[in-house]
Amino acid sequence: MIRGALLPQEIRAVMDNGVPAVVVTCSADGVPNATIVSHARYIDESHIALSFQFFNKTTRNVRENPHACVALNDLAGSAQWILGVQYDHSETQGPIFEEMDMRIEAIASVSGMSGIFKLRAADVYRVKSYRLLSNEDSIE
Amino acid sequence: MIPGALLDFLEGRGSFAVAGTRDANLVPHVHYVSGWLVEPDRQTIRCLINRAYLDGLFGSLEDNGQFCLTVEQIGTHETYQFKGMYVGSADLTDADLAAHHRASQKFAKALSLFVGYPEPVGRSFIRRPDVIVRFAVREVFVQTPGPVAGRRIFPSEEP
Repeated sequence: MIRGALLPQEIRAVMDNGVPAVVVTCSADGVPNATIVSHARYIDESHIALSFQFFNKTTRNVRENPHACVALNDLAGSAQWILGVQYDHSETQGPIFEEMDMRIEAIASVSGMSGIFKLRAADVYRVKSYRLLSNEDSIE
Repeated sequence: MIPGALLDFLEGRGSFAVAGTRDANLVPHVHYVSGWLVEPDRQTIRCLINRAYLDGLFGSLEDNGQFCLTVEQIGTHETYQFKGMYVGSADLTDADLAAHHRASQKFAKALSLFVGYPEPVGRSFIRRPDVIVRFAVREVFVQTPGPVAGRRIFPSEEP
C-alpha cells in the first residue's frame, strides 16, 4: 500500500483504460451515496476530473459536502486505486471539457448509450490522498 | 421488505457491487463487495467484503451506521442503489461463500463478454471475502442511466 497526495504517472494508464470508476459521496445530513461514473480524467498530479452527465445525488452531494472517494479499476493488474478527493469546481467549456465530451460520446457509442450519456460538466477535484490496493493486500 | 423484482435482480442479473460508508467527519469511504445475499426477512442484505477494503468501514459503521450498496448488471447498465443502516456483522457461512462464487462467476462472464478479458482475470478481481456487513434496507433508488435515474422505487415515491 502506498499513500501520498501527488498522483504518480502510472495512474494515467488506469484512468485511460475505459473501465468505469466508482465514486462515493456523502450528503450534508450524512447519507453516503455510491455510484459508477463513465470516465475519470487525469489533469495533473494533484487534480482529476469526473464526468458529470446527470443531475444526480453525486452532483448535489459534492456541492454541499466536497469530500469524495474515487476508486479506479485496473482490471488487468487486478488492483484498485483509491483516491480521497475534494470537489473544486466545474468546467463547461475549454480543453478539459471538450476532451471529456469526446470521450463520453465514444463510450456512449460503444455501450449503446448514445443520446443518454451527455456530458454536462467536467467536475474537477483536488487529490488529497491515494492508495493502491493490489492482490497482496487481500492475502493475510 | 425488498420487492420481488429487486430480489430477482440481486439474485440473478446483478454482476458488480460496491458499497459506501462515511465517517464522523462526513468523509466517504468505498468498499468493494465480493458477494451479496438477501436474508430470509427480505429486508437485510449481507455484503461480503475482502480485508483490502476495510479502511474506514467498521469505524464508520460504529459511528453512524449509514451504509449504501450499489449493484449493476454489466452490459445493460441496469443499476440500483440500496441504502440503509448497519445491523451487525457475522461469520462467513457456506451460503456466503456460495454467494461469493456466484458473484465472481457473473462478473467474470460479463467482463469476458463485454470487455474481452479472460474469465480468470475477472474472477481474480472479485476477492475472497473476509468480513460480512449486514444492513437493513431503508430505501432503494434507480441508478440505471436515463430519465428515471435517481428515482426512489422503495418505498415508492408519492405521485
